[in-house]
Amino acid sequence: MVDWLSLAVPLAYLGVLIGSLATFSSLYRKRKAQKAASLEPWFPAHLQRDIYFSLMHLDPSAQQTEKKLPAVPESVLKTSLLRRATEDIRRVLALRSQKQALTVLLQRGSVGDDLWQRFQLAEKEMEEEVKDVVAEANAYVPNWGQVIFQSANEMMNNDLYRKRMAEHQSKLAEEKAFWGKKKASIQEGFMKELDGSEGGVAEAEKAPEAAPTSATLSVQSDEDAVLVEAESVSSPGKKKKGKGKK
Amino acid sequence: MSEIDIFNQYPLHIDPQTKSISLPQSSAYTPTQITAINAELQELNDLHRSFLSIEGPAGIPPPPLPVNPKRSAQITKLRDSANATYRKGNHVEAVRLYTYAIDMALSRPGWEPVTLAREELAGLFGNRAQAHMAMQAWPEGFIDAKSSVDSKPVGNVKAWWRVGKCLAEMSRYGEAKSFVLKGLEIEGRVSEGGKELVALLDDVEAALKRA
Repeated sequence: MVDWLSLAVPLAYLGVLIGSLATFSSLYRKRKAQKAASLEPWFPAHLQRDIYFSLMHLDPSAQQTEKKLPAVPESVLKTSLLRRATEDIRRVLALRSQKQALTVLLQRGSVGDDLWQRFQLAEKEMEEEVKDVVAEANAYVPNWGQVIFQSANEMMNNDLYRKRMAEHQSKLAEEKAFWGKKKASIQEGFMKELDGSEGGVAEAEKAPEAAPTSATLSVQSDEDAVLVEAESVSSPGKKKKGKGKK
Repeated sequence: MSEIDIFNQYPLHIDPQTKSISLPQSSAYTPTQITAINAELQELNDLHRSFLSIEGPAGIPPPPLPVNPKRSAQITKLRDSANATYRKGNHVEAVRLYTYAIDMALSRPGWEPVTLAREELAGLFGNRAQAHMAMQAWPEGFIDAKSSVDSKPVGNVKAWWRVGKCLAEMSRYGEAKSFVLKGLEIEGRVSEGGKELVALLDDVEAALKRA
């Protein structure tokens, strides 16, 4: 026969002990999570991801039948997923390049623990995000998950490259305008040289020196423009005079 | 429910006919947010259009390699006819054809390898620069040659020379010198093109001394 009365004390002791431990643990974890959540996120909001999920939840009835959406065609969702993967690649690369610098800074004590915690949080989040994208891709087409990031990587690099090319080509008008003015001033210089005027030679030689710096700075090239115009206004008279003499 | 499941929902709208996604006007976001969202949606819709042209039952972009040879063949064909036109001396027409080829190469879908696009465009920009130079259109030639060396810095000695030449023709000798020096650093002096670069460098330096 068990003596319940004498067991009650140790049981009560155990109960209080476990209960307090559990309370402490849950409180501690909650506080830690709250602290982590209160940290500023490493990256801004993931727009592509938000759009992807917004599209998925566009139709209330879509939630049950994710595979064959009545409103949003699958191709749109796939496109959106690829956009999301592209942004993920960008972020993963950013994290990778920042990690080394950040560890060095942390070892030297130049940055606080906060920053490191935020970084680790971002790393963990990205890991989950990548896994999620792979899973989603595989859900659309078997084995797409293995190539979607390859495609996304090319997408990102192509995007960067196209932007660079567009930037180069966009400078064409500026260069052309600059060359037009310059050509006029050089021709003028030649004309003056032919006329044997000393001032014309000096001006023609001055122009090339001013050119390299002004090509890059539009503000400066504006100044140049004024100069050139002033010259061209004053020069016809001179030229006429020269011709008159001859 | 982990953090990964949390997202900001946007009240997006899909056009039933064109299937393009848009953000309704009346939503409550800041102007910067709206521009960001609209820019992203624009990209999305553009990408979707190229998604629809994908061949194959899966409807997903194929892995970067191997490359679909169709577009490459088209571009090569255009380039060849442009080269022929250039050789005949019809530079205006050659520029037009090169521009077509460049546009086609630029419109390659983004998931195709970037190295391929760089290779193709380096050649096309280089050739268009040559055609521009034949017409003494130096600024156009300079821009195209610069695009070409930016696309493919190594093994592109002609384009380096063209950059230098165009700049020298516009009497921007300082810039010309720095470009030629960079080209020499990458290409070396011993090759055929390298010697031409050295010759150009001498010219440029002489011009700098004169100035």
